[in-house]
Amino acid sequence: MTGRASLRVAAVVCVTVVVQEGILNGLVVGGAHPDAFLVLAVAAGLVAGPQTGAVIAFAVGLVADLFVLTPFGLSALVYVLVAFGVGVAASLPAGRSPYSFRLTVALAGGIAGTLLFEGISLLLGQPRMPAHELVVVAAVVGIANVVLVLPATAVMSRAINTGPPRDLAAVSGGSAAR
Amino acid sequence: MSTTRRNTSQRLTLAILILLSVTAITLDYRGEASRAIRSIRNGARDAVSPIQRVLADALHPIGDLFSGAVNYGDAVRENEQLRGELGALRREALENETAEHQLQEILNEQNLPYVQNIPQLLAEVISGPSSNFQDTFEIDRGTSSGVGVAMPVVAGPGLVGTVISAGSGTSVVQAITDPGSSFGVSFGTPTSVAVAYGRGTGYPLYLANVTADVQVSVGEAVYSSGIAGAALPAGIPVGTVSSWHYSGGALTKTVFVTPVADLSGLNYVTVLQWFPAP
Repeated sequence: MTGRASLRVAAVVCVTVVVQEGILNGLVVGGAHPDAFLVLAVAAGLVAGPQTGAVIAFAVGLVADLFVLTPFGLSALVYVLVAFGVGVAASLPAGRSPYSFRLTVALAGGIAGTLLFEGISLLLGQPRMPAHELVVVAAVVGIANVVLVLPATAVMSRAINTGPPRDLAAVSGGSAAR
Repeated sequence: MSTTRRNTSQRLTLAILILLSVTAITLDYRGEASRAIRSIRNGARDAVSPIQRVLADALHPIGDLFSGAVNYGDAVRENEQLRGELGALRREALENETAEHQLQEILNEQNLPYVQNIPQLLAEVISGPSSNFQDTFEIDRGTSSGVGVAMPVVAGPGLVGTVISAGSGTSVVQAITDPGSSFGVSFGTPTSVAVAYGRGTGYPLYLANVTADVQVSVGEAVYSSGIAGAALPAGIPVGTVSSWHYSGGALTKTVFVTPVADLSGLNYVTVLQWFPAP
């Protein structure tokens, strides 16, 4: 990733901070709200692949950790694992199908991210989240991921300058730059 | 060959990133580094707070609408209860309902009867919970206004939480429903004491250490206990007993308490400038 691309990704992260802290934190459904930082990590894995995607997700996670009171580095760890997993899944042949793959990965990423966060939190001695609430959080985060992943992927794709999103390139018969 | 090299490179990157994350977590658990991280977090929150204030002012009415839509069933039931009381109180429609609503919320925070002589500070809620894993919210007052960690926060009818992090211009409040929240309460006649634990957003508090011989009745008021060394001053309304259960032969009763304050739609709160005894 070039220096210019890094600056563009940093700008995207700054906008995400404003959107998350100013708007999405207030959109509470059943005690849970969308996680734009996790959406960005999923988008990074989809667009940039497992390696670069995980690096971007790490940076996104550290920024996200500034605004919560859970152990610093916990979001970064979870986002790295999610982005890497998404990147690996996207690099498989099945990942070349159109939008439905991206939406499925976003849903799975939201649920996996929520469960990973809770699991690692418990290992670190944080209070246990009641099971009923964990289900609601996983559902809300997963659905929000599905809603937000397409615009997030488009923005991330432009920021990293990888050309058209891979699934679009596959549909049109073109090839996405990596 | 190239695929193998690429896979190795990917795994190495993943291992390094995991190591860095674990290092950050470890540093957060250590004294000096933890303090530095806390001040960086407070600085980040303070930096974003002006934008949050603007967005909070603009989005509160929309948030109320959204909340009303999501909690439609509760709203309908509540509406039926209030309909009978509204007749005597009906008055001319106000030109600016939003402004009047906010004014009323602020007025509700004045002259709270249970506060007694504890200094108090009005604050606006500028952000909901930043993490789905903690039931917290952010207010627009910090150490520069006299807010400190461990101060109780109330809204209208009773307790809503305690300050757990304070920057210069903003603070984070842990709601009483957070699973990590616990504090002493008293209830009943003769007075009994117990420990109240949060069980998550929208769920009643759980009272622990209520022995089998203690008389409990549904609807009974529960207050902060304020016994020596308590984290909260005495007499702040916490909630009412919503249900209790006793299995024959058990040493304790299971008691649940519904918070008296509506934690789902907070726009303004009052910080009580009171510190627990050291």
